[in-house]
Amino acid sequence: MKQIAIYGKGGIGKSSISSNLSVNLASEGYEVLLIGCDPKSDSTINLFGGRRIDTVLDLYKKGITDPNKLIFDGYKGVKGVEVGGPAAGVGCAGRGILVALKTLNKDYYLEKGFDIVIYDVPGDVVCGGFAGPAREGYADEVYIVTSGEYLSIYAANNIVKGLFNLNVKMGGIIGNMRNIVNEEQKIESYAKEIGSQLITAVERNSKIHESEIEGKTVLEKYPNDPLNLKFKEIGNKILENKKSKVPNPTTDEKIRSILGGLY
Amino acid sequence: MMNILTPRPNPIVAALYTLRDLDVDVAVLHGPSGCGFRAARLLEEDGMKVVTTSMSEEDLIFGASDKLIEVLKEIDELFSPKTIGVVGSCVSMIIGENVKKAIIDSGLKDKAFFVEIHGCMGANTRGAIETLKAAMDFGLIDENEFQRQEKMLLLATEVESNSGMAKSKYTRPSRGADLRTVAEYIVNLLKDKKKIAVVLNAKKETAYLFADIPLAINLASKKYGGSIINVCNLSKIVGLSRIKRYAGDIINNYDSNGITIDYISGGLDEYPIAGKNAIEYLKDKDFDLLVAVGIPQALPILNKESIAVTNGPREVHPLEDAGYKYVTVEIASHSTVMGIRDIVLSELGEVIRDVAGIQ
Repeated sequence: MKQIAIYGKGGIGKSSISSNLSVNLASEGYEVLLIGCDPKSDSTINLFGGRRIDTVLDLYKKGITDPNKLIFDGYKGVKGVEVGGPAAGVGCAGRGILVALKTLNKDYYLEKGFDIVIYDVPGDVVCGGFAGPAREGYADEVYIVTSGEYLSIYAANNIVKGLFNLNVKMGGIIGNMRNIVNEEQKIESYAKEIGSQLITAVERNSKIHESEIEGKTVLEKYPNDPLNLKFKEIGNKILENKKSKVPNPTTDEKIRSILGGLY
Repeated sequence: MMNILTPRPNPIVAALYTLRDLDVDVAVLHGPSGCGFRAARLLEEDGMKVVTTSMSEEDLIFGASDKLIEVLKEIDELFSPKTIGVVGSCVSMIIGENVKKAIIDSGLKDKAFFVEIHGCMGANTRGAIETLKAAMDFGLIDENEFQRQEKMLLLATEVESNSGMAKSKYTRPSRGADLRTVAEYIVNLLKDKKKIAVVLNAKKETAYLFADIPLAINLASKKYGGSIINVCNLSKIVGLSRIKRYAGDIINNYDSNGITIDYISGGLDEYPIAGKNAIEYLKDKDFDLLVAVGIPQALPILNKESIAVTNGPREVHPLEDAGYKYVTVEIASHSTVMGIRDIVLSELGEVIRDVAGIQ
């Protein structure tokens, strides 16, 4: 059993990667639990035909804390959870994540025999609560999703700083490309710079967006599309990955120099 | 700045006390039910209602503005207050609760005002200053009074840093000298017809207790002789009406016991400067012993034999270090003075009476 957390810049495609990865691993017979940690509650939406499941925190508010009632069956048998959180501009989403994770009862779901638990974490780790899934006892290793664009790698490096400070292992980088020059090379060079690795890079593909419009993963809308093989490849590499280690953040100047050398 | 390990006074509690000084009817602490409970209970004994919004874990995550609005409406109905002070807490302020908007939405903006205190950090006087500022903006006090009190509070912080428990990284508590030894020392001096200068330099309502020590020493002097110079910060013309009332109550008691005050060193909220005024007044006077009670750490050190009576076990060592022959503690100085209008018995005062054989 492996627990992983997916981090990366807001809007970079963490939820798309997480949900497509989940269903493809499930289609190969793995037991998968996907825990969406974003207060927007949209990590698992494509497992449920565009439907939003009840969130842990909404149910908690109603006094429902039985872990069985917080986990929902999604496409291909992937189990989905949404942490939920406050409306924009009020309360404390970070505290929400910590309380939801506690309510979910890790010991309970770890005993369920999942092969992989994926925590899909919000883009900006703005406070301690957002680092909750990366703390001891939760994710064994963290994966960062990034494109080859400066701001995305810059955000990734900030996350790496957090992992370094918290002494958390990183499994590698998953590239989600935006069609810029030498993009895969850029991402790979950055990965090496921080002492990590590029797991694989996913080409920009409109089928992902077309599927999402219908509230589906690519596997559900285009079952035979080769893109699914890419997600299976990512999933299998993660499951087999033995190279995770605490990364070393780099400087802003170094990022600019890496990207600048690869026009 | 030195990181002080000794538990320090709390700005949220100081805000609540200041609301009481302002004769606010209800203080609403927007926070969990146990927030500031010891202070809250004491203040209730002094007549001000103190309620919390009972913030829960759920409120911390989702925000609790609706709960605050509801509590404001409830207390308005229950207590029909003229003024309400809403004080923040660590929890509500970390999550950025919009308290001002909640007050407006409750429909009570004409009687409720917000004191923006964020957590238990920093000098407690910050909580008092923020409360006074909010009260000024709300129209409860004028700018002159705000400025006068702000100056006093900043000076009080200075006193604590220079001569009080904020002087060292960690200050051990102590119960100070044996009360009987000190009482016997004082009474024996009077029996020897010596002269004692007694300085009451008290903070607000604690004067009701500390004023008992000058009273006991004066009564002992009436029986055994000797003479007393009485210096008190009991001005009836300085400060908020509530504070002036305390001074008036104590002076009434002294009058009825035939005690003459030789010099008024300031008001009961002026202890940071009244101590200096007292010593300025006494420096050329002839006397054998100085007894300083209340906030003795605010008195400049005189090259005279001196006894200090303080309100905090953690003030004992700094005062001993400053050269006081004896330092004693009135441990119950905060809890026994709520909701009263006359001097209450102090521990040292009782032992002096016992040693002197007076009741």
